[in-house]
Amino acid sequence: MRNLIKEFTKGIIKENPTFVLALGLCPTLAVSVSVANAIGMGIAATFVLLGSSLIISLVRDFIPEKIRIPCYIVIIATFVTIAELCMKAYSPALDRSLGIYVPLIVVNCIVLGRAEAFACKNNIARSFFDGLGMGVGFTLALILISAIREFLGSGQILGYALVKGFEPIFVFGMPSGALLVIGLLLGLFNLLKGRKV
Amino acid sequence: MLNNLIVSGSPHIHKPESISRIMWTVVISLIPAGIAGVIIFGWGALWLTLAAVAAAVLTELIFSIWTKKKITVLDGSAVITGILLAFNLPSGVPLWLPIVGAVFSIAIGKQVFGGLGQNIFNPALVGRVFLMASWPRYMTTFTRPFSYDAVTSATPLAMLKEGKILEHISYLDLFLGKHGGCIGEVCILAILIGAAILLIKGYISWHIPVIYIFTTAVFTYIFGSGKLFGGDWLFHILSGGLILGAFFMATDYVATPLTAKGQLIFGFGCGLLTAVIRIWGGYPEGASYAILMMNAATPFIDRYTRNRIYGTK
Amino acid sequence: MNIQEFLTIFISAVFVYNVILSRFLGLCSFIAISKETKPALAMSSAVMFVIVMSSAITWFVYRFLLLPFNLTYLRTISFILVIATFVQLVEMVIRKLSPQLYRAFGIYLPLITVNCAVLGVAVLNIDMFFVNGKVLVGSFYYSVFQGVCVGLGYTLAMLLMSGIRERLELCNVPKALKDFPLAFIIASILSLSFMGFNGFKV
Repeated sequence: MRNLIKEFTKGIIKENPTFVLALGLCPTLAVSVSVANAIGMGIAATFVLLGSSLIISLVRDFIPEKIRIPCYIVIIATFVTIAELCMKAYSPALDRSLGIYVPLIVVNCIVLGRAEAFACKNNIARSFFDGLGMGVGFTLALILISAIREFLGSGQILGYALVKGFEPIFVFGMPSGALLVIGLLLGLFNLLKGRKV
Repeated sequence: MLNNLIVSGSPHIHKPESISRIMWTVVISLIPAGIAGVIIFGWGALWLTLAAVAAAVLTELIFSIWTKKKITVLDGSAVITGILLAFNLPSGVPLWLPIVGAVFSIAIGKQVFGGLGQNIFNPALVGRVFLMASWPRYMTTFTRPFSYDAVTSATPLAMLKEGKILEHISYLDLFLGKHGGCIGEVCILAILIGAAILLIKGYISWHIPVIYIFTTAVFTYIFGSGKLFGGDWLFHILSGGLILGAFFMATDYVATPLTAKGQLIFGFGCGLLTAVIRIWGGYPEGASYAILMMNAATPFIDRYTRNRIYGTK
Repeated sequence: MNIQEFLTIFISAVFVYNVILSRFLGLCSFIAISKETKPALAMSSAVMFVIVMSSAITWFVYRFLLLPFNLTYLRTISFILVIATFVQLVEMVIRKLSPQLYRAFGIYLPLITVNCAVLGVAVLNIDMFFVNGKVLVGSFYYSVFQGVCVGLGYTLAMLLMSGIRERLELCNVPKALKDFPLAFIIASILSLSFMGFNGFKV
C-alpha cells in the first residue's frame, strides 16, 4: 500500500509533470489566464489521465507492440471526447473559455507520456495512482501559474479582488506574461534545487 | 573573462577607448534631448529620467553583487538604459512606472543574458514594450507641450492613425518638438545634435540610421496615403520615435549585426517594419517593435553575412 | 473569397497569433529543438508539411464524412487518427525512398503526431471556417492557406529562437536560468515584440 501512495505523491513534487518533466506545456500556458480555467482543465485532464491509464494498463498485454501508439491514441481520444461532451453539456461557459485546448488534451504530452512510460508496464493499481498523482500534480501546477497570472494581471483570483487599489499589470494576462512567469518559475525551482544539492 | 573579449571583424585598431568612455559620451550626447524634454514638458521629465536611471543602476548593482561578478555600474551602460527608457515615456506617467520599467529592462533585458555585451535585445526597448503591454493607458496618455500640467493631447502619429487632419502642425513644429509625445522623442533638433557628437567621434556609424530612416521614408511615401506615391514622408520621418530609435537604439553595439552588409539589412528591416506597422498596424508607432524584431533576427543576419575568413571557402 | 481574407489569415497566423508565441501550440518541440539551427530547420519543414497535408485531409473528412452523417462529436478521435496515420505513412515512404532524408528528419516525424500545432490547426480550421455546421465559401482554401501560414509562423519562431540560443552558448548566462528558463524568457520578449502587429488592418 505504501508503494501505491508513493506512486501518487511522486507526481506532485518529485516528478511534477509541468515543472520537472516539462510536459504538457502548451495547454498549461494557454489555460492559465484564470484560476477557474485552470481548475476546469486540471479536472478534465486528470479524468483523461485516470481513464486512459486504467484502460491501457488493463489491456497492455493484448496490444501488439508495433501499433501500440495508435492504440493508445484511440483510447485517450475516446476519454477526451467523453470529457469534451460532458463539458459542453454541463459547463458550456468553461468549454468556451478553454476553447481548442480541450480536444488538445489528446496530444497532451503528459497523457501519452505516462501511457508509454508507465501504464503499459505496470499493473492497474499502480497505474491508477500514477495517473492520479500526475493529474493532481498537473492541476496544482496549473493553479499556481494561473494564480500568479490572474492576480498580477487583473488583481483578482477567482473573481475576488484581493488587494484594494492594485494596478493590474496587463501583460500577465497575455501570452508574453505567461512565458515570462513560467520562465521565472522554472529558474526559481532550478535555484532551489541547486541550493539543496 | 568573457566580458573582456570584444568580438569584431578585422582589422583591429587599438584606440584609447574603453567601454566606459564610449558609454559616458553617449550619456552626454543624450543631454540635449533631455534638456529639450524638460523645456517642452516641464520638470516632471527630469524626475522621471532620474528615477529610471537610479532604478537601472541599482538593479545592475544588485545583480552584480548577487552573481558575485565585477561591479560594472560605473561603466555607464545602465545609465544609458535608464535615460533611453525614460525618453520613451510620456511625461505624465506616475513615478513608479519608469522605476518598474527600468528594473525590468536591466533584469530581463540584460542580466538574464549574462550582462553587458551579451544582451540580444536593446534593454531600454524591452522595458518599454513591457510597460506598453502592462499599462497601456498610462503609456498612451500624452500631455500638451508647454502646458506643464495634465492637459492631454494626442501625438501627431496617433492623430494620423485616427484619420484626423493635421492642420496646426508645421514641419518646423515637428522638428523642434512642439507637440505631444514621449519625453526624448519629440525634439528632433536636440536628438540630432547628440547624434552628431557620436558620429563625429566615430562611436556610431551612419549606416544603420541612414538606411533605417531612408527605408521608412520611401515606404511611407509610396504607401502612406490613400493613393500610391502620395505619402507625407517628411512628416513620418519627423514624428514618433523614429529619429531617437534610429540613432540611439538601433545602433546598440551588442544587439545589432557586426558587418556592414549585416547592418544594411538590419537598417532596412527596421525601416520596413516601422513603416508597415505605422501604415497598417493597430499602433500609431512601430519603431520599438521593429527594432526588437530585428534584434531577434540579428544572430541570424550575423551568421549569413559573416566576413570571409582568408583561406576558407 | 477575397484577397483581404487571405492577407488577414497570413498576418494573424504568422505574427499576431503566432502559433508558438501566442497560441502556445507546438511549445514542447519548440523549447526542446530550438537549440540549434539545423535540427530546428529540419523540424520546421517536417511540421509545415504535416500541417498542410493534414489540414487538407481533415477538412475533407469533416466536410464529407462527419458533417453529413451528424458525427461531428467524433471530430477529435477521427482527426487524431488521420494525423497519426498520415505521419506513419510519410515515415514509411521516406524510409523507403530516401534513407538519407530519413536520417535527416525521420526521428522528428513521430514527434509531430503529438505536436499540438497539427491537431490544433485542424480544429481551428473547423472552428473558423465552418459556422453552425455550414461550410463557408472558400473554406477549403482558407484552411489549407492557414495551414501554410501556421507552418511559416512556426518556422519563423524556430529560426529566430535557434539563432538566439546558438549565440547565447557563448555568453555566461546565470546558471539557474540556463536552457529552459531562458528559452521561455526569450520567447516572452519575442512575443512582446510580435505584439507590434496587433490590430493589423489591411
